[in-house]
Amino acid sequence: MRLKSNSNINGRLWGWDPPLKSSYDAVIIGGGLHGLATAYFLARHHGMSRVAVIEKRYIGFGGSGRNTAIVRANQRTQENLPLYKEALEMWPVLTRELDFNLMFYNCGNLNLAHSEAALKAMRLQVASAQIYGIQSQLVDPEQCKTLIPALDISDRPRYPIYGGMYHPPGGIVRHDAVVWGLAKGAARKGIHIHQGTEVTGIGVKNQKIVSVETDKGKINTSRVLNAAGGYSAALSYQMLGIRLPISVLTIQAMVTQPLKPLLNHVVSSGAYHCYANQTLKGEIATGAHMDPWPNYTNQSTARYIKHQAEAVTEFLPCLKGVKFMRIWGGLADMTPDMAPIIYGNDPIKGYYIDCGWGYFGFKSCLVTGKYMAKFMADGTCPNILKPFTLRRFEQHRLMGETAAVVNYSPDN
Amino acid sequence: MAFTITCPVCGIRRGYEFRFGGEDKGPMPPEESLASETWCEYVHMNNCIAGIQKEWWFHRDGCGSWFTIYRDTTTNQQVENR
Repeated sequence: MRLKSNSNINGRLWGWDPPLKSSYDAVIIGGGLHGLATAYFLARHHGMSRVAVIEKRYIGFGGSGRNTAIVRANQRTQENLPLYKEALEMWPVLTRELDFNLMFYNCGNLNLAHSEAALKAMRLQVASAQIYGIQSQLVDPEQCKTLIPALDISDRPRYPIYGGMYHPPGGIVRHDAVVWGLAKGAARKGIHIHQGTEVTGIGVKNQKIVSVETDKGKINTSRVLNAAGGYSAALSYQMLGIRLPISVLTIQAMVTQPLKPLLNHVVSSGAYHCYANQTLKGEIATGAHMDPWPNYTNQSTARYIKHQAEAVTEFLPCLKGVKFMRIWGGLADMTPDMAPIIYGNDPIKGYYIDCGWGYFGFKSCLVTGKYMAKFMADGTCPNILKPFTLRRFEQHRLMGETAAVVNYSPDN
Repeated sequence: MAFTITCPVCGIRRGYEFRFGGEDKGPMPPEESLASETWCEYVHMNNCIAGIQKEWWFHRDGCGSWFTIYRDTTTNQQVENR
């Protein structure tokens, strides 16, 4: 799946195909949302436009275009909450700044609890969010029903609804629009986006980055960002011998045929391993299951289609008989503590990493790009990113973010 | 194609009967004077090879054996032991 470099998608978005220069101030590996956002902010905030984004396939091919487009800020830990709060506030700002409709729809998220224990865990999560000024509240089953009349709050489902956590400022964003908006915005500021270009090696001399080799030629640079998503850990190990605490799993999602509006909030359930929202086209987008062994297949599986149909119709019985139209998979780079790795200049000066996002990469892309750009521009890690150091694993300081989500990984 | 794994005891079985047990990282490092970095390397760090890797599996819904296989992570196909 390679695009020719003169593909007209470039023409429509940013007007020309830049030549691959022999030297850039920074090279970003991965034309996904994190890479594009970092490039955009390098140019916008730090005056660095001699920057190349190297993408093996085409922009947004990976997780950026495969996620379920849900955004929210009700994470669990004090390290993660400020980051996601700022991330959520950036959507309307960037819509104006990029002059590109990102279709941010802040419909709110309702997370269902199906036991007393789940409700207790939510109580902590709600309190943590409120300390950081993030709107989040507990709701009882009747309030859940008021929010989403289609919910079955009776005792019929195998796991009846005990209550929920309602997070009004969250919602959905059109993920492709974010890819296109950022690419267009970055290109307008002089960033070179090279699609269909594969990184084949990274040159290091005296523990410093000196170059990036691609199949289109060698680039001299002193800074490289690994933002290769699902491939970031493989790339780090193969090209630099730096191993990362990551397992790559294929996560699956699907959409139904379009329906009249019935679901005006994002609804999710940890017990059913399921979340669903209705897109602006009327489809119910729902995910997300992972086969719990590492792979790079992007495959969808029959087992999951059955699971998803059973799960979503348990708490939304009105969807029985509705047909699925499309199913797809994407790669999720999972860390043991469900928090990302954002790090740089160690053990190689000029080597920066932004990966390990698991299933949080979409909602965090803008804010991480903003701070990663600062990190790369002046070489010192901004305070907000410091907790996400790669060194936390050997220091036994893993974060408690696992409790915030469905806990899938090959480790459990 | 369906994902299958060959158990040394039970033969070819459906992949869902098994639980993944991690990349093969060799023997556990000795506990005596074990450095935190060495333990972290062993417990957390992965090669994440996109291709053929040696890895552990556990026949959870079967005989209970732990064993290693070679599998191509880009296709989910088990390959001949080498």
